Amino acid sequence: MNVLDVLDKDLVKVPLLSSDKRGVIVELVDTLVKARGYSPQQGEQILDAVLARESLGSTGIGNGIAIPHAKSDVIEQVTMVLGISRLPIDFDSPDGEASRIFFLVLAPSKQASAHVELLASIARSCTSKIFRRLLEQARDSEEVVHLFME
Amino acid sequence: MAVPFKQIVVYIDGSESSMTAIMYAIKLAKEHDSSLTAVYVINTRALSELVKAGIFVAVERDEYLRDLAQDADRYLNHARRLAEEKGLEIETVKAEGTVHVVVKELLKSKEADLLVLGGITDIRSRREELASETDRMMRTAPCPVLVVRDDDDIWFEFEA
Repeated sequence: MNVLDVLDKDLVKVPLLSSDKRGVIVELVDTLVKARGYSPQQGEQILDAVLARESLGSTGIGNGIAIPHAKSDVIEQVTMVLGISRLPIDFDSPDGEASRIFFLVLAPSKQASAHVELLASIARSCTSKIFRRLLEQARDSEEVVHLFME
Repeated sequence: MAVPFKQIVVYIDGSESSMTAIMYAIKLAKEHDSSLTAVYVINTRALSELVKAGIFVAVERDEYLRDLAQDADRYLNHARRLAEEKGLEIETVKAEGTVHVVVKELLKSKEADLLVLGGITDIRSRREELASETDRMMRTAPCPVLVVRDDDDIWFEFEA
């Protein structure tokens, strides 16, 4: 599994409107809940799982990228929500750089293989500085999808 | 008459398309009186990449390693059950490493003459880093590769 297998225009939000770490996570979960029709309770469960993972250590990985993720059996298939912020958000990244590109990755507990492969694919796809710059400058979700498909 | 395929290897990763591939491989092996090996590779390379990139903390890597090992057992047991249903002996292999590298080595050591894969997706990007493990296996296999499209007919036919 790779980024292209799960990239969905409806699960891309440009720009994110939140101004802090928790707000970004809530906004990404909310994008998923609205797009997939999950109930508010299911949304809470997803959010709790992501925040619980975040409490183990920040998922800000440096170079302006953060990949909050969690296992959740509310989700039926491995899912990715992608958000781009116009403003850099402090995500406690090891390099001290604030983040503008956010990938929320969720997977059911019995799809560990696909979950791991997707996370690795995201890490590989964002190694290019030029690509990261293009993502940060994307105007809307269609442009983001187009950048991955090129 | 010579048997076209004597040693078939099928790769499974738990995806629905790999489950279709195992059904197809069982039917094929039965038809051609071939030996069949099902392989699941725990992708420890991806786990290492995630720790190196700072995406996984150590405790998380250990947890996912256990999850992947359980996945491997679950899906290999499933493959064994399906083969037994059809009265076919199957060898199962649980391995660890870089998926396409491990599969290539297995194909060589088994002197396999066919690799059966599911889950080939359309080419949607020219970027090499977005190639999937299945794509890489197809490119590096030292033997012919049969790609099984995920198709309900295969499930119906298998269960008939």
